[in-house]
Amino acid sequence: MIHLKKISINQLICLVILTQVGVSVLSIPYAESRRSGYDSWMSILIGGILAQVVIMIIYQLGKRYPDQSVQQYVFTILGKPLGSIFNLIFALYCAQSSVMVVISYSDVLNRWVLFQTPFFVLIGISLVVAAYIASSTLRSISTITQSILSMFLICAVIIFISGMGKGDWRNFMPIGTHGIGSILKDSIPAFWAYAGYELLLYVFPFVKCNKKKDILIAMSIANGLTTFFYLLITIIVTYNFSENQLNTVTEPMVYILRKFRWPVVQSLDILFMTLWLSITTVTVYVYLFLSARYFAYVGRKEIRKHPLIVWIIAIICFAIGIWFSDRQYIFKFSDYHNKVTMVMIAVPTILLLISYVREKVARA
Amino acid sequence: MKADQLLEKNEKSLRELLFNSSDFKFSDFETGNRRYRLFYLETMIESATVQDHIIRPLLTNVNGSVREAVSILDYSETDLLLDASKALVEGKTVVQINGEAKLYLLGTELVKERSINIPMNERVLRGSHEALNENINTNLNMMRKLIETPDLVIKFFQVGRRSNTKVAILYLNSLVNEVVLAEFERRVAKIDIDYIEAPNFLQELIEKKNFTLFPKILVTERPDRINSYLMDGKIAILTDGSPDCLILPVSFWAFFQSPDDYQIGWLIGSAIRLLRILSFILAFSLPGIYVALVTFDPRIVPFEIALTLQSSMQYIALPPVLEAIAMLLILEILREATVRLPSPIAQTIGVVGGIVIGTVVVQANLISNMMVIVVALTGIASFNIPSYEMSSAARMLTYPFIIMASMFGLIGLEISFILLLTHLSRLDTMGIPYFYSWFTADTIKDTLFRFPIRSLKKRPFESMAKEATRIKDPRG
Repeated sequence: MIHLKKISINQLICLVILTQVGVSVLSIPYAESRRSGYDSWMSILIGGILAQVVIMIIYQLGKRYPDQSVQQYVFTILGKPLGSIFNLIFALYCAQSSVMVVISYSDVLNRWVLFQTPFFVLIGISLVVAAYIASSTLRSISTITQSILSMFLICAVIIFISGMGKGDWRNFMPIGTHGIGSILKDSIPAFWAYAGYELLLYVFPFVKCNKKKDILIAMSIANGLTTFFYLLITIIVTYNFSENQLNTVTEPMVYILRKFRWPVVQSLDILFMTLWLSITTVTVYVYLFLSARYFAYVGRKEIRKHPLIVWIIAIICFAIGIWFSDRQYIFKFSDYHNKVTMVMIAVPTILLLISYVREKVARA
Repeated sequence: MKADQLLEKNEKSLRELLFNSSDFKFSDFETGNRRYRLFYLETMIESATVQDHIIRPLLTNVNGSVREAVSILDYSETDLLLDASKALVEGKTVVQINGEAKLYLLGTELVKERSINIPMNERVLRGSHEALNENINTNLNMMRKLIETPDLVIKFFQVGRRSNTKVAILYLNSLVNEVVLAEFERRVAKIDIDYIEAPNFLQELIEKKNFTLFPKILVTERPDRINSYLMDGKIAILTDGSPDCLILPVSFWAFFQSPDDYQIGWLIGSAIRLLRILSFILAFSLPGIYVALVTFDPRIVPFEIALTLQSSMQYIALPPVLEAIAMLLILEILREATVRLPSPIAQTIGVVGGIVIGTVVVQANLISNMMVIVVALTGIASFNIPSYEMSSAARMLTYPFIIMASMFGLIGLEISFILLLTHLSRLDTMGIPYFYSWFTADTIKDTLFRFPIRSLKKRPFESMAKEATRIKDPRG
């Protein structure tokens, strides 16, 4: 039997873009403009550059162990007990990320589209769909993601068209008055919005490529496109809203979409949020998939029942998700999650350093 | 059991082997000092052949051997009665000379077949108008004539413990993927069933997972279409007694391709292809979209259109979900009724269904105007798909889409759509992914669109042909 396990460069790009882009599209650049105001587009740009740096680190790490994914080579770097702990923590982190995305988008849907549907039903169906997809093979997941990319393009076109309405370019002026310090500080929340490239830690050995360098190029293209997309949204939002308005509007993109009238579609925001559900679903199922893969390597031996693990994690996520029907907890959880993300980003760097040191020691 | 020297003894044994079948006959004649006896099944032989090519030469040729005398190509000798009985069933004539414990098996079978007709189910405007018929040899002959190269391999299998149905597989040796071929042959060899009915028995028996609405093997009756698939490196399966040919492995997109697309300019071909895929999407989602719009999100439609919708639904008591399901069921009932009826009555059904049900149902305020339009459009869209299996799949999919739409509105539709994509992406045929995205530079050329022939340089992905490039230097 022919079994295709590897994914193509093209599929890698789709996976990374769609995992990176998520719920934050609606709120960008609210969190990023707390200090930098209308200069937030620079923060977004810097956030993208930071993400690129982390991608380089992960790539260097992957290149040292080209035939293994992080779940396996972490044991060679850290040893048995620490490796298991690393896998467990990353599994929990990925599960947490998917919960985060599910509850924040269900919250959005509950407020804007489906007012009457109970919160737990929304979480339930999002997780069922995501778990069903995550229980497939990496290749099937990539195929699905590739298909969903076309919906992403429709969404991008909707954003672009609706944003080009009445606005004022003077909202950007004078450039850079908020100072380098506040722009840099705001690039940290921007950086959170780029999460998703961690995928490369797992996916590195499964990419079909002529040279390993192609993976880095693909990752950079994906990250570049995401940065461009975020930048576009920030520019559209700043073009439409002044800084004072920005301080009160937490989900600027929704208002921009609602303002725009097509002769065939009256409220574009509902259509957009419906289509956008598929893009957030990508983030959810990729993290669920990763979480299951990390869990599989927690014990001594690899656990081979991938679908079972995925469904168990999804049920746990659902049980946790129900508690967030009160919006206040979502904000707290989001703060906590962002902090955890910062820590998680540091881990590959540490791994890379340790593996360098180990190599040096071994040579000496 | 060995054949006896005596004619009478053999006759008795053969009669026993055939369980006293009434059509088992024999006839004797003598020349010189030899006594011949011909055994045959009278229903199976061509009597003119027997008279002209067996009896007459044997009568004139007094002392020569049978081999020299008869003018028949399909000649063999045996001394086993069991072989003889099998040969009799195949329509051969068994000749014996009295005193010789040897049987001559001579091919004299009567072939009755339908003449080669115009394709019934896959009509085209341009291109060949030949269709396969029920005789496997005629079909193979047509294929050989289309592909005149020794590269075309034909392999026979006998499937069915009792029926011993002849199954032929065809492929081009220099293109076919050996792993797929070996896997397929393994699966065919493993089939253990008393008889098979082509084409669906084979189809279901060689596929592992059957829990899907989608056809995974393409069925065609057009030799030119088989030809084009063989040229892609795929495998074709012909079964004796069936005018349908199975093609595998095919992808989801093959069910939207028609030979016509390639016989017309590429711009128009692409437009038609796109129309077909749009029809497919409409066929399973349009009632769902309508239900979602009128029950959940009337905010999306512009005010004027919303007014029109509202005025058409004003006096309707049923909720839109039930309206949609009821109307679709009526459509299915009408369709099923017309398929099997003789054509004059089918027209009546058309009148009764179309005019009586269509207009009266609206006048009686049972179902809204809009819903009749939506359902009619859905039905016609589903018939726009070239493959009957695929259009049935689309029509079945409509119901879950409507139910999801009635529960979650547009979100429900979106979720069903993602689930559909997932289901498709998880399917495989012979270990090869069934569905691939339309969204890459290579695949878009022959899925959503039909690019110019010279740009279709690669064979399709799913055939995994040994030689992937089809066109080398198109402009010469």
